[in-house]
Order: sequence, then C-alpha cells, then structure tokens
Amino acid sequence: MSSPLIQCPACRAWLMEGVFNQPEFTPCPACGLPLLTEVFPALFRKAGAVQSGQAVLVEGESSCFFHPQKKAVLPCDSCGRFMCALCDCTLHGQHLCPTCLEAGKTKGKIKSLENQRTRYDQIALSLAILPLLIFYFTLITAPMTLFIAIRYWNAPMSVVRTNKIRFILAILIAVLQIAGWTILFIFLATHHGNRVRHN
Amino acid sequence: METGSDIIKYKRLTRSGARSGFAAAFQTRTSLWLGPDHLLSVESTGYTENYKRFYFRDIQAIVVQGTRNYQALTGILSIFAVILILVTFFSMPNYPFAIFFGILAGVFLMFLSLNLIGGPTCKTFLRTAVQIEQLPPLGRVRKTRTVLKKIHPLIVAAQGGELSPEAISAGLREWSEPSSQPTASGTVEDDPNVPPRLMP
Repeated sequence: MSSPLIQCPACRAWLMEGVFNQPEFTPCPACGLPLLTEVFPALFRKAGAVQSGQAVLVEGESSCFFHPQKKAVLPCDSCGRFMCALCDCTLHGQHLCPTCLEAGKTKGKIKSLENQRTRYDQIALSLAILPLLIFYFTLITAPMTLFIAIRYWNAPMSVVRTNKIRFILAILIAVLQIAGWTILFIFLATHHGNRVRHN
Repeated sequence: METGSDIIKYKRLTRSGARSGFAAAFQTRTSLWLGPDHLLSVESTGYTENYKRFYFRDIQAIVVQGTRNYQALTGILSIFAVILILVTFFSMPNYPFAIFFGILAGVFLMFLSLNLIGGPTCKTFLRTAVQIEQLPPLGRVRKTRTVLKKIHPLIVAAQGGELSPEAISAGLREWSEPSSQPTASGTVEDDPNVPPRLMP
C-alpha cells in the first residue's frame, strides 16, 4: 500500500500516469474498462519516521510513565502523566497518552474515534410499529417501547441524525396502544359487570 | 479531551446504497456524509451504525471504474417490460388478467425509468495510505461526478494544492529512483508491490 502506483480495480494491472486526473473516463491499459482516477498529493507523501523515544541519560531526569527507561517529552493533555515520544498520540492538536486515548474511545468521549452506535430510537420505533401487524403483541411491546424510549432518551444518537423524532413517535404510538388496551379492558370489565348484574 | 458536546454537523452527500451482492443489499446500507475535515461513511443495519472516517488530508486517490450493469439492467428490464405489455395487450378481453399483467408491466417500466434516470453505473474506490475502500453509494457515474465535484476542492485544500501532470510524473520517478538497484538479472527489485521492470 505504500507504493504510489495504483491498480485497476478490475484486472489489478498497474495504472500509468496518463490515466491519472483526466477529465473523462480513460480505458485501463490492460482490460480496457473505463476508469476515472483522481490522485492527490498525499499519494506521494513520504511516511514520517516513527520516534521511539530517547533513553534517560541523567539520573533524576523525568521519565515516561509507561516506559521508565525513556525520557519524558511532554505531559498528557488529559491525565497529566509524563510521556515519551513513543507514547505521545496526537489527536486534533491534543497530546494524549495511550490509556486516555483508549478510555476516550471506549467511553465515547472522543467522538472522532467512535466507530459504532446503537440506534435505540430506531429500535423503539420498530417495536412500536411492527407488532401492529399482529396487534395482540402490542400489549407487551407498547410498555417495552416506552421503557426503551425513556431509558435511552439521553443515550448517544446516530452521529448523522441527531433529532429525537423517532423516540417521540415511538412514545406517541406506544401511549396510544396502551390507551387502546386500557379502554378495551375497561369496556370489557364494565360490559361483563353489567351482564352479571342483569343475570 | 473532547466531550459529548462536540457535535459535528454532517451534510448528506448520498442516499443509502447497498454493497454489491444480493444478500448484502438487504443486510446493510451505506450512505456518505460530508464533515468539516472528513468524509463519513455510515454503514447501517437499521439498528446499529458503523462509521468510517476518511480525512481529506489522508485521501490519496479516488478511482471510479465504469461497469456494464447499466446496459445489462436496461436490456433485461426492457425485454420484460415489452413481454408484459404484449401479454397485457393480448389478454385484454380477460380483464382480471389484463389488469394483473398491466400492473406488472408498470412495475417493470418504473424500474426501467429509474435505471435510465440514474444513468451509467460504476464502482468507486477510495484509497488512503493503509486501505482501499469501496464506496457503495457512489454506484452511478452522474452521482459520483456530483460528489467528486464537491469533495475535490476540499481534498485539494487540505493537502495544499492540486497535482499537475508534471508533479505526478516527478512523484512517480522520485519514488522509484532512490533505492532502484539493478540486480544481476538486469531487473529492478525495489519494492515487492511493484512489478520488476527492465533497466534502460
């Protein structure tokens, strides 16, 4: 992958420079399939050398929290622990130690590292709507919908859809279903009571 | 450290598109979103979402490969639509059959129209230093061109300028020259990813 040469996605042939950044589709030199290839300066950027951290030379010199034998170069912006050049993880201009980076990822504090979310709003809405096909199920699913909607109201939403419209709809539908069942039970109870009194 | 209040506003670039493959099409849908400094690919199963971020500064290349699915789909749908229209026409005296086949023909005509409106098909791949990722929502040339028109200036701005044809040639030359040492057989074996080539 470090090579700046690009392969044709279909035949895996190496593409020549005449194919790059053309305004129209150009046939692949090997298979003839039309290709539109846009390349950017990052293709030729050389990977920077990885710093391994300098060893502590003078006794009493600040050392890395994670590698005591290595010289500390800066503190973590989150926890303040001293870090060597190897442990310094730069993210959005902040210098973080690996522990804070991992904690930030797992706890969802660093948004740009989050790579999965559960759509509780979609789950609640589906639970409110789908059982309507066999409406007896709504007796169980309506309270479940309400529980999910209330329990996860403040849980992180989708990264791209941030409104709570699905939760609101789910709650409304669930409340209507519960109201419907309540009315039905009251009606049955009163109807049954009247019949017993008449007899 | 960042907090939960750092909400990035994304702008939708494409509607959800399915990965190629019949089963996958029903399992996951992928959409593309434009962030302030990156492209966000959202793969959704309906109840969970997986995110992939492609930072503009890291994008090395975007390769669009034209496919023949458009022609194939147009041909198949046209044949079915014509057959169903003929069946509808010949079953006119029998109204229930005519209505049934008429509706079927209408469905095929609708898919045919959608295919024609969508235009030629393609597969789009995005390359960074460590991955080559297919972008399923960019499956039509017209849509892909529109998206490329939007993101191209952002990528160029993030990487400090456009690559000229001379810069591409120079980059390829510069990259291949330093460690190129002819072997005893007269070929260059500087990188296992590159096919060996004869020295001039």
